[in-house]
Amino acid sequence: MAEVDRRVLYWVMFIALAIPFINPLGLPVPITEMTKAVYDKVESLGPKNIALFSIAGGVSAWPEIAPSMVAVMRHLVKREVKIVVWGFFTDQDITVDMITSNVPELSTKYKYGEDWVYMGYLAGGETAVAALASDVHSVFKADKYGTPTEKLPLIQRVKSAKDVDLVLTVDTGSYITYYIRHWNVGKGTPVAEIGIAMQADQVVFYPANLVGLLIGVRGGAEYEKMIGRLGGGTITMDAINISHLLFIIVIALANIGYVMTRRKK
Amino acid sequence: MPYPTDPLILSGVWASVILTLMVYSYVLYKETPVFRFAEHTYISASLAISVVVAYQTLSSNAFLPISQGDMTYLIPIVLGLLLYTLPFREVRWVSRYPLAFIVGVGTGIAIRGSVHAQMVNQVLAAITLPKAPQPIDWFNFLFSLVAFLTSTSYFIFTREHTGVLKIPTQLGRYMIMLALGSYFGNTILFRMSMLSGRVEEILKVFGIIPWR
Amino acid sequence: MSSILRRREIILFLTGIVGGLMIFEYFFAVKETAAVSSTIQKWAIIISTFALGLGIITAFRVHLSHVKKRTKGQWFFSAWLMGFFVLLTVIGLWNTKFVVYDWTFKNVYVALSTTLYAITGFYIFSAAYRAFRVRNIEAAILIVSGALILLRNAPIGEAIWKGFPILGEWVLMKGQVGGMRTLTFVAAVGLVAFGIRTLLGMERGYYGGGE
Repeated sequence: MAEVDRRVLYWVMFIALAIPFINPLGLPVPITEMTKAVYDKVESLGPKNIALFSIAGGVSAWPEIAPSMVAVMRHLVKREVKIVVWGFFTDQDITVDMITSNVPELSTKYKYGEDWVYMGYLAGGETAVAALASDVHSVFKADKYGTPTEKLPLIQRVKSAKDVDLVLTVDTGSYITYYIRHWNVGKGTPVAEIGIAMQADQVVFYPANLVGLLIGVRGGAEYEKMIGRLGGGTITMDAINISHLLFIIVIALANIGYVMTRRKK
Repeated sequence: MPYPTDPLILSGVWASVILTLMVYSYVLYKETPVFRFAEHTYISASLAISVVVAYQTLSSNAFLPISQGDMTYLIPIVLGLLLYTLPFREVRWVSRYPLAFIVGVGTGIAIRGSVHAQMVNQVLAAITLPKAPQPIDWFNFLFSLVAFLTSTSYFIFTREHTGVLKIPTQLGRYMIMLALGSYFGNTILFRMSMLSGRVEEILKVFGIIPWR
Repeated sequence: MSSILRRREIILFLTGIVGGLMIFEYFFAVKETAAVSSTIQKWAIIISTFALGLGIITAFRVHLSHVKKRTKGQWFFSAWLMGFFVLLTVIGLWNTKFVVYDWTFKNVYVALSTTLYAITGFYIFSAAYRAFRVRNIEAAILIVSGALILLRNAPIGEAIWKGFPILGEWVLMKGQVGGMRTLTFVAAVGLVAFGIRTLLGMERGYYGGGE
């Protein structure tokens, strides 16, 4: 059994992932503490508050983070929170396009420049995050579309981290740590994360420095349930169910085989 | 949602699925020119997007202030251009200046941020007593504290892990394995989500599942 | 003059001064250093933006040499890479909303990006079958903890046994916290130690060390 061709395993996984899309299981997704914490924080905000939506994840991670991004953005818009968007990935324009097409209220209900604004891309990693925490206007001279910051009323209100009521960082790497270091510990701004599943280790910062954490597509499915609008996250959870069960079976089988082989020797 | 009929959208979704299958041909069959074509297409697209976005960013945040009269922005622009001497051996030494600048800034900022957030706060979190302690809260607090202390002792490399250090470091290894096992479990969620996203796309475009 | 400018002491001094200023500004509230520090950070961001272009120069050097030498099985792909890059870049710099650029990024780039990233899902499945053996206590703890997290993440865990998500949640929120906190703490200690060595000029790898 140990000598089975890898490609057989790959095909097994490929087919196993396809089946639940054709025949959905529809198992309920329980809500976890950290997702509820993010929801409660966004629910506490209103039209006078400003949220920063920081995109530090690329298009390649969309299957994991897109459901959470869309669900949280829908919630922010429902609460009429003012939204500043910027990011650190060169392909983030496509992500912003995806969000605006899935949350049409950003065009229909919100006025660009007053209710929401997209500042564009910044290189520099932690240096950029730290610089923005102290003085946003020294870093951004214009938004993504070239409009000078003087002509954008919303960004005029955001001079530093202290003017932001909640940071939502969409993260596939270290940016959550940068925001915690420079925005939360440095300036006291609440920080929440929309992260890939591997970011779950950031739980070490919860609850002292992190409001909450949406972990991967599971977090997205939970948030969709909480806002009452099921979407991509919920649909993907069926595939997650089957794939995870397959992993457990495969690891168990491999170890049973291993123990039996050792006993024979 | 109905299956798209607009030619531009339709051509796009079919192109995306064909490219996906080209890439998966490597895994599910073997390396072929079809895979290499897809791979090189991706590299060229990602390089192109880097150039375009970098230019747009510099236009907004560097060229715009210069056009408004702030000439100090010429300094980072010149330093940035000096970076391009790096690939050329004869003049590589020039690129050390902008590199020294970036490394100095990055290092300083990383040090100042990590001391409080990742060292002081972590120790404080480990020793802070639970607020409304139930027996389970005390158990969790003691477990986390013991795990923290024993796994930190594992990283003492200046003494051999024998004698008084033997049991704590062994326990520390188990605690680190517990953490890494959790990381592994979450990694699987990540990889499977990524894969299922593409599988769903393939099924949608081939009409096997409804378009949404 | 260039021999003076080539001296590594100047580079190390520049790194140390700039880094030291960043640290000083954070821990001591001096207005003048705050203004200088802010300017320097702004400049570092702009210089980092230029760094995006470095990869392109390197990539082009490699692929251009393949095309010149007509490397068998490669030169055509290299020519395609460079040609497609030039086409997309010219169009993108002119107008990112132009249909060719927009279509390429929404359909070609997104598909390839997610697919190439997702390919590791196959490898991890193969690795789980071939490599995850309970050889000793450490491996057993790793596999059991991983399995509990799998059953916590997938709602099917609760369908099998109600205790799985409870145990999994405990492992995630409490059990692994001590170990993960250590890794965070130790990584920070390493970062600070390496950073101080860099600022004091003991680490020279970033500028090519012994040249």
